[in-house]
Amino acid sequence: MTSKIKSVGLVPLGNVPEIDLKVLAEHITGCFKLTTQILPPLEPPDDALDERRLQYDAGIIIEAMEAMQFGNQDKVIGVLNKDLFIPIFTHVFGEARQGGKCGLVSLFRLAKNPDGSTPPSAIIQERAAKVALHELGHLLDLLHCEHKQCLMHFAGGIDEVDKMSLDLCEYCSIFLQDKLH
Amino acid sequence: MDRKMSVMIVDDEAIVRESLFHWFKKYGHIVETAASGFEALEKLETYPFQLLFVDIKMPGMDGIELLEKVKTEYPDTLVIIITAYGSIESAVNAMRIGATDYLLKPFKPDQLSLVMERISVQKRLVTQYNYLKGHLEKITRFDNIIGQSPEMEKVFNLIPEVAQSDASILLAGETGTGKELVAKAIHAESPRSHLPFIAINCGAMPESLLESELFGHQKGVFTGATRARKGFLEVVSGGTLFLDEIGEISSKMQINLLRVLEEKKITSIGSREPVDVDFRLISATRRNLKKEVAEGSFREDFFYRINVIMIEIPPLRKRKEDIPLLVEHFLKKYCQETTKYVDHVTRDAMELLKRYDWPGNVRELENAIERAVVLSKSRTLRVEDLSFIRPPDLQFSKTLSLREMEKTYIQQILEENNWNVTQSAKILKINRVTLHKMMKRYHLERP
Repeated sequence: MTSKIKSVGLVPLGNVPEIDLKVLAEHITGCFKLTTQILPPLEPPDDALDERRLQYDAGIIIEAMEAMQFGNQDKVIGVLNKDLFIPIFTHVFGEARQGGKCGLVSLFRLAKNPDGSTPPSAIIQERAAKVALHELGHLLDLLHCEHKQCLMHFAGGIDEVDKMSLDLCEYCSIFLQDKLH
Repeated sequence: MDRKMSVMIVDDEAIVRESLFHWFKKYGHIVETAASGFEALEKLETYPFQLLFVDIKMPGMDGIELLEKVKTEYPDTLVIIITAYGSIESAVNAMRIGATDYLLKPFKPDQLSLVMERISVQKRLVTQYNYLKGHLEKITRFDNIIGQSPEMEKVFNLIPEVAQSDASILLAGETGTGKELVAKAIHAESPRSHLPFIAINCGAMPESLLESELFGHQKGVFTGATRARKGFLEVVSGGTLFLDEIGEISSKMQINLLRVLEEKKITSIGSREPVDVDFRLISATRRNLKKEVAEGSFREDFFYRINVIMIEIPPLRKRKEDIPLLVEHFLKKYCQETTKYVDHVTRDAMELLKRYDWPGNVRELENAIERAVVLSKSRTLRVEDLSFIRPPDLQFSKTLSLREMEKTYIQQILEENNWNVTQSAKILKINRVTLHKMMKRYHLERP
């Protein structure tokens, strides 16, 4: 069976370590069985920076990305090292609109533990992979899931991201297969 | 969350509406947005949103005003107030008015999911409560007989008491008061409940047909009797026979039935062989049979035989406090039958329903609600939807003096309000003491 979605692009927005991008690409390919390509870096749009909050508005970045052409990429995930927010929330780890084309992952808050300590880079990369796959799930029209272990469970804090697994629950897996084929 | 909800976000800031809209969409909820309190109320008119997220500061109608209106018109709708740091006091005030919770914006993502989780638990508990309440009502009340008024309480208390005996019961009440429902409830509560309940409307058929229906007939005794047929008095075998409009039967039929009740035997038309019968008789009438007995138009011996226990079912105009409950019941019933969603009645419309005297009683009210639900274009019944109900204008004879007119009017208001002086004084726009003085002056007393 051939997939409706052919390729996923990963685009660094600003300065993002290459190793982090490679780890994310491997996870997308490994978990969702989708070809993943790392695209040339871009800068986040200037108007995305909220000078009062000193954070980047995820909605503005996504809108700017959706207006761009990304070759033959069906879905694109932007990766950045900036603190992201949406107007009602203090922060978000990532953002994507249901069934949209572009999503975001921020590494900024993933690099800190709830107690303020810094985790090893492998933990940060695993957290980033979970957020990226979760947001890609939304782009593929998956909804938030009630199962606490499922990748599509809503994670409001770092500890919840850590509790979440890299796998989809049985139901979300079926929905994903349905969306992909 | 275990079930999807219908959510409306009410905020004058488009970015807030948009953020929340996308967040709720990710849960698969039905999401709608409104830029003002007025728009929100308009949308609530057409769709029963379960949950509203309302910004406290909005131009025109603010969040508190909207909350008050929503809680008055749609008390089941949950409201979460969104507020900025500067207006925590208003948020606390909102909780007092009936908001389910409040969130200070911007809020942490897990705060919103926590609030939604709490709502989900609350919703589940409410569903369980409603299920158990309904179950309990079925156990302690009688299906489809609705009422909380003292008059209906008396009837409810009598049903299980009289159900245990085999004494004949006469149900007296105007047309449409629910006599057959009471008869069915008595049967259901009685030791005969597993046996048939047969209802016959004596006023709806000619005497010869009624006789044949009750007593049965042999083959060939009259034209059309191509085969023998058992009568209902025999078919009911052990169950309950409900004879509605018993006041309509002829003197001859009264004698025939009297004999059956005394001998517990019937002889079908054309037969000479009596057959044993066993049934419990419940009769009903809308006429004043006692008066007819006194006038000689109804047999006294038969009257006392069918009237071992009398239950009077009050007309709806004497239990107007039951009208909101009945309206709610019929709205639910006809919403299910018509698949339309009408769950509210404006205060004015309810006042109109309560002011009308309902000569056709509960049946007329039920028909009115059915008609209004079918014709209604929104989820709220308004006075315009009930335009076919015309409360009778006060009719005064032109020969009445001013004093007589005053007395008649005061008496009418007192009767309509069950002789409640405080309530009547409020309608008459005079104080209670004045009303008491006028009642004394006109010798008006509760009968």
